[in-house]
Amino acid sequence: MQRQVALIKQSLLDQGYLDEQFMELEELQDDANPNFVEEVATLYFKDSARLINNIDQALERGSFDFNRLDNYMHQFKGSSTSIGASKVKTECTMFREYCRAGNAEGCLRTFKQLKKEHATLRKKLEQYFQLARQAGPKETARRPK
Amino acid sequence: MLAGKAPGLQHPNSNSILRGLIITLAYDDVNRTVTKRLLEKIGCEVTAVSSGFECLSALSNVEMPYRVVILDLQMPEMDGFEVAMKIRKFYGYHWPLIIALTASTEDHVRERCLQMGVNGMIQKPVLLHVMDSELRRALQSASE
Repeated sequence: MQRQVALIKQSLLDQGYLDEQFMELEELQDDANPNFVEEVATLYFKDSARLINNIDQALERGSFDFNRLDNYMHQFKGSSTSIGASKVKTECTMFREYCRAGNAEGCLRTFKQLKKEHATLRKKLEQYFQLARQAGPKETARRPK
Repeated sequence: MLAGKAPGLQHPNSNSILRGLIITLAYDDVNRTVTKRLLEKIGCEVTAVSSGFECLSALSNVEMPYRVVILDLQMPEMDGFEVAMKIRKFYGYHWPLIIALTASTEDHVRERCLQMGVNGMIQKPVLLHVMDSELRRALQSASE
């Protein structure tokens, strides 16, 4: 079953949902902190849900305070980077570029895509962690080639 | 950038230079949690704070000899540079050491860091071996 877990992780990496940084987090996991990555992921999704909500509200109001939106996104990008959420990070970057260009339509479009990527990642990681827990404690994380 | 294992991490004896108290300041929960764990993994004892005020309060506690502050400059609600400036104002330029975590390596960021008396800079996302070697470097040169 551990191989199944490894394969799922590899496919998340191959498809670009996650990047190297996710593996860096796994390096921080050990016997004393066996669920560290899942804990961080939980924290990330809690924080990012709040940020998404803030941005949604700001966009709904119709007044595009690009500075404020950029600030939110700067934060969002930061935590997405820390967890290795590659596709989400890309959307964050794009959103910020639209903010700097003052392009409201671009922001709305990108944000829609961002929410989609975010939801997909959340689902996939939930599946991954559930399986990982079932599979039991791993041997030392090995880097796939 | 692939992270390999630095040789120092394999030898617990060489970690004596790292043993010591560290404050890590980041506004973002995820970043703070990850940085804290990373530092603990390399053998440091860490206090994680989420505001400049908490950071300065922790430093003023004479019972806790903090050696280093890991300062995440990417903080929307507060100016990391301002925190660095306050630390230097209250405690001088020799202690504690300040290592800044920054998302960018633009020149003006570097310059400002130097002006603020920051002792080291690490680009995010922070890799384990990079934190390890930068900490050692800063602590080594401070002890010379």
